Formats: sequence, C-alpha cells, structure tokens
Amino acid sequence: MIRYEVIIIGAGPAGLSAAIEAAARGLKVVVFDENDKPGGQLFKQIHKFFGAKEHQARERGFRIGERLLAQAVGLGVKVVLGAQVVGIFDNKQITVMIDTQMEYYVGNSIVIATGASENVISFPGWTLPGVIGAGAAQTLMNIYGLRPGSKVLMVGSGNVGVVVGYQLIQAGCQVAAVIDAAAHIGGYGVHAAKIARMGVPFYLSHTIAQAHGTDRVCGATIVEVDQAWQPVPGSEKFLDVDVICLAVGLSPMSQLARLAGCLLQDHPHKGGLVPVCDEYGETTVKDIYAAGDVAGIEEASSAMLQGRIAGNAIACRHGYISRTEFERYHAEYKTSLMQLRGGTFGHDGGEKTQPKHTAEGQPLSQTLLTKGYLDERELTVFPGIPGEAARKQGLVAVLECTQNIPCNPCQDVCPKGCIKVGDKITNLPVMVSSAHCSGCGLCVISCPGQAIFLVNETYADNFAAVSIPYELVPLPVPGSKGMACDRSGAVLAEAEVISVRKNAKSDGTALLTMKVPGQWAMLARFFKPGAALQEG
Amino acid sequence: MYRIENHPILPEFHRGKRVAFLFDGKEYEGFEGEPIAIALRDNGVMVHHYTAKRAEPRGIFCAIGRCNDCVMIVDGAPNIRTCVTPLQAGMKVETQYGTSNEGVTGRQ
Ligand SMILES: Cc1cc2nc3c(=O)[nH]c(=O)nc-3n(C[C@H](O)[C@H](O)[C@H](O)COP(=O)(O)OP(=O)(O)OC[C@H]3O[C@@H](n4cnc5c(N)ncnc54)[C@H](O)[C@@H]3O)c2cc1C
Ligand code: SF4
Ligand code: SF4
Ligand code: FES
Repeated sequence: MIRYEVIIIGAGPAGLSAAIEAAARGLKVVVFDENDKPGGQLFKQIHKFFGAKEHQARERGFRIGERLLAQAVGLGVKVVLGAQVVGIFDNKQITVMIDTQMEYYVGNSIVIATGASENVISFPGWTLPGVIGAGAAQTLMNIYGLRPGSKVLMVGSGNVGVVVGYQLIQAGCQVAAVIDAAAHIGGYGVHAAKIARMGVPFYLSHTIAQAHGTDRVCGATIVEVDQAWQPVPGSEKFLDVDVICLAVGLSPMSQLARLAGCLLQDHPHKGGLVPVCDEYGETTVKDIYAAGDVAGIEEASSAMLQGRIAGNAIACRHGYISRTEFERYHAEYKTSLMQLRGGTFGHDGGEKTQPKHTAEGQPLSQTLLTKGYLDERELTVFPGIPGEAARKQGLVAVLECTQNIPCNPCQDVCPKGCIKVGDKITNLPVMVSSAHCSGCGLCVISCPGQAIFLVNETYADNFAAVSIPYELVPLPVPGSKGMACDRSGAVLAEAEVISVRKNAKSDGTALLTMKVPGQWAMLARFFKPGAALQEG
Repeated sequence: MYRIENHPILPEFHRGKRVAFLFDGKEYEGFEGEPIAIALRDNGVMVHHYTAKRAEPRGIFCAIGRCNDCVMIVDGAPNIRTCVTPLQAGMKVETQYGTSNEGVTGRQ
C-alpha cells in the first residue's frame, strides 16, 4: 500500500488544478486518470474560451491543458495514466487498475475530479454505426485527425452541440442541421451565430424520429414536437446525413463519491446526482473532496477554480499554509468563480427561466434564440453597435454580443480603450469611443464568441469593407472572389477579399477583410469562397 | 479517406508510420499506434460487431473506451475495445458476431 498526502482522481482541469495548488504548497500529490492522455475534456477543446484574463480567456482549451500539465509535472506531481480508480474504501484507500493489475493506495486527502459522462437518447435506429456522441466526434477529429463522416446531424443545441458543430465544419464536414426539442437554443448565442452564418439551419422544437440504414446511418428523419413534446404528424423532414451526433447533456460521474460513502443529492440544474459539498468542495466524508463537473456540470474555467479551492483547503488542513494565507487565496478564487457563475447562463444556483431581457434591460434577440442569428432590426438597441452617425465617420468595430455571458477579452485587448465591459464580466460590452478605433482588429481575432466585426462604410464609392474572424481552410487569398453571406448564411452579393491577416497573437484566427456593396455593410458577416452563386 | 490533412487550428497530427493489418482477411493500412477503430473508419469500416440476440450492427459510439460498442476480435481475442487499442503492424482484426460481448454492450 503506497501512501500519498493527496490522491487526485481525474487529470482534467479540476484534478490538475487541485494538484498544482496542493503541490505548490509542498504536499506530495499523485493524480490517476483512466485515459492514456491527460487533460480530460480540455484536449478536445480547440476553440477559444470565455472568461476574463485570470480564467485564461481567449486561450484555446488544449493550450490551457498543456499548460496545466506542464505546471503540475514541474511541481513534482506524479501523473499516472491508463489508471482507472475502481474503488474507494474506509480510511481513504483506493484501488487502481493499471494495465490489468490492481494496485492499492492510501491518501490523507482525496479529490474526486472524474468529470462527467455524456447522456444518450434512444430512437429507432439509435444503435446504428454512425450515431456517435459529441465527445466521440471531438476525439476522432481533434485528437486523431479523422473526420467522423461527411454530413452530420447535430442533436442538441447547447454549447456542446454548437461548439462541436463548428469544429465539425472546421474539420471539413458539412453540418446539415442542429435540432433541439426545446423551443430555444440552449448554448450561447455567439456560439450559435458562428455556424448559423455558415448556413447551418437550426430546428427548434424538433426531435429525431429515426436514423435510417441497415448497417450504418444513411439518413435521418426529424419531426417537430408540440408543447407536450409530442411529435406533430406531417412535420417529418428527411435529412441526408451519414453521421448523427448526440449532444444531449452531461451527467456527473459521481459513482466513486457514492462508493466512498459521500451523501449525494439530485440537482437537476447541476446535471443529476452530485455529492453534497461545502464551500471548499469537501464532501460529507471528511478529507474527501469533489471538484469540477462531478460536483455539477459547469465549465473548465470553473472546474479549475474549484480544483484550486480544494487544493488550497487541503494545504491548510494539513498545516502547509497559515490560516491567513489560506483565507486570502480562498477569497480570491471564490470571487473569480462567482464572476463566472453570473449572467444569463450562469450556474449561480437559482433555477433558470428563459429571460426576456438582458441585465441591462434590452429585449433579447428572439431570432438568436430560435434561429441562431441576430436580426438586423433587433440589433440597434445594444450598446456595442455603433449608430449610423458613427459609421458615417469611417471604420468602426461592431460588437454583436447581446447576452450576459461571462467574458471580457474585447475590453482587455483594445489598445485604444474603445470597449468597456466593466467590473462585472457578464455585462454587455459597450462601444464607448468608436472615434478612437484604429482598426487594428485585435478585438475581432480575440473575441471567443467571434462576435466582433469591423465595418467601414466609407471604404469606396458604393462599397464598404467588412472584416470578419475566419478560421477555415483553405484561407482565401487577397484578390479572390466569393460570396458575402448574411448572418443566416444567405448569399447577399459577390465579395472580393481585400486582405487576410494572421499573426502569432491571433492563434489561428485570421482577420479577413472583404469588399461588399455598400448597402450590405451591416448585413454581410461571412465570406464563402468560390464564384458560383449557391444556396446558403 | 476521412483523414484531415489541413486543419485551420491544429498543427500536424502526430501519426505513426504506415502499417498494414488484416481486417476480416483483407489487407488494410493505418498508422501505427492510433486506435484500431480510427484506422478502420478511415477505410470505411463502420460495423465492429453484431449483437448476439438480435444480430444488430454496432460501431464506434463513445470513442473513449466506455460503451463497449466497438469491441472486435483482435489477434484471436474477443471483446477488445478497438477505440482504445493501439494498432500494430500485422494485427488480425475481425468482426465479432455476438457471443461473449453480450451483457456488456452499452446500447443493447
Ligand atoms: C464540446 C465542449 C465544449 C466546451 N467548451 C468549454 C469552454 O469553452 N469553456 C469552458 O470553460 N469549458 C468548456 N467545456 C467544459 C469543460 O470541458 C468541462 O467542464 C471540464 O473539462 C470539466 O473538468 P473536469 O476536470 O471536472 O472533468 P474532465 O475534463 O471530464 O476530466 C475528468 C477526468 O477524469 C478521468 N476519470 C474519470 N473517471 C475516472 C476513474 N474512475 N479513474 C481515473 N480517472 C477517471 C477522465 O478520464 C477524465 O480525464 C466544454 C465541454 C465540451 C464537451
Ligand atoms: S479594432 Fe482595435 S482599436 Fe478598434 S475597437 Fe478593436 S481593438 Fe480597439
Ligand atoms: S464581444 Fe467581448 S464579451 Fe462578447 S464574446 Fe466577444 S470578447 Fe466576449
Ligand atoms: S466506442 Fe465506446 S468503448 Fe469504444
């Protein structure tokens, strides 16, 4: 039996952060993960994260993962991979299966950071090869470089559905549709808008009726559902797809906490059965902590903070830091966590009903909630949208960020101080002085929501220049022609690429500037290469 | 045919050397060290096994070793989760028909 001061189960953002925090204070820490690769969900996340600088906002998930791992290893944390923890017994003993061998460890403290498992739904044909989890799609394309198929139906419009939908397009797949049985898109509007402008239709109040095929998926039928979630006869639609991707929610993997004798409670808004924890993440069993998705489905950014909070508490309990030091760190992490938990989509504990207005009082865009894009007419009330007078003066940045999400890189990166979010990071970004905007484009390439555009209505007679963030291959070259599309992906007019800028800071996001007929300046938000007029 | 050669965000994928393996007696190619399931899917193989009771086809579902839908017979051993088993040169991979996997399959 090998003893460690801290045993951490799960090498995702929560587990690694707890390990870093405890090891930095001098504790001897081991982390077990059943996977062959550390990082948990983070290594599949290739998009930029929301949050503030302290949450590593605008960093891509896998880079955050690389950094956490290097930090943990640098502090002497032992990370054991391919090691599945199968049991927890009295006195904090654990059984680990490593390469078909059982090994036994005992810890003074244990952190359960096992994350979540994906939910599934069943429907006729749901077991056919070609029906996969959203996590599987990410593993195939982002870890192994393999497209899961050619045309995909995404079931579920939460952040996972819309983010994986976007990543599928980046990998070269077509996304035929995103459907959801709910009447509103569950994910952030800015995430939905990224794929809506690439022409992906959203079908809300729809469910999947059937996956077709005998030994693999060769199509799907979707159907509208009424308010009682019953199928509406005659509303069936056939979609020609070879992959059906399920993104219908996550459930905390709390089995080990149950084995350890921790009290569990059913929390619908935390995703299911979760261990009851105090504010430090300690469960009802002394010295056993839970952090991250296992304690309630949230995000990597909050998982990291929960890990830190637990690590800090453990260090104090065992006398590695003074009470005052502990309290100072705890206050810092707690504040940071509460910042993330605010806003429209926040996890601050209360039951969420679909709000009708932003915290600032603007009516939320209904097209954004049902179709995934902003209607131009709904746009003008938001504080990030420069009015006609400002646009007449020349180049302006347009912040199409209209929901209270925890995010502020736009304010952070603007060298001219044009953008203000304020202390509360869920505030809507405000364009405070568009006259000072230099057109540097830093806000455009940094915005994790890809919700910022540069518009120059004075570019040339009858023509405007519109700059958009662009993350697809092949990268269009200056001078090439294509189609300017509106926020729904519908083709507006021919457009010409003026410039394509990409640098180390943009981390793969290019700033593409296109020339469009002047009247489309406030509509054109996507560039589709190729001259032929196509349907959006 | 499903390999991503050029990705807008990710640098090159670290792939092992090209190796040959046998699937149901026919020779296929994949990259050494990648999961067998990846090499199969790249070659268009979707069905990994058929369930015992109803002979229903199953293929990759979770891709992280949790659902058991991707089990096959590998070098004679049944119930091998191909999504987490690295491909090696000369491996003999076979479609599994029912039997021993019954009861462990995630999606019955
Ligand atoms: C598509 C998608 C997009 C996302 N986008 C964002 C985003 O933009 N911003 C953001 O902040 N968050 C995002 N998230 C959420 C984020 O990935 C998760 O909230 C976060 O990874 C949870 O961290 P964790 O450490 O709790 O769990 P995980 O990352 O799931 O890690 C848990 C680890 O525990 C291991 N494990 C489980 N059981 C055992 C066992 N018995 N023995 C040993 N090891 C075990 C697992 O192998 C895994 O590695 C996204 C998630 C998805 C799916
Ligand atoms: S383009 Fe540059 S100067 Fe203008 S708002 Fe964005 S970051 Fe600020
Ligand atoms: S506009 Fe600002 S607050 Fe909104 S998503 Fe972009 S960076 Fe975040
Ligand atoms: S696909 Fe689920 S175990 Fe392999």
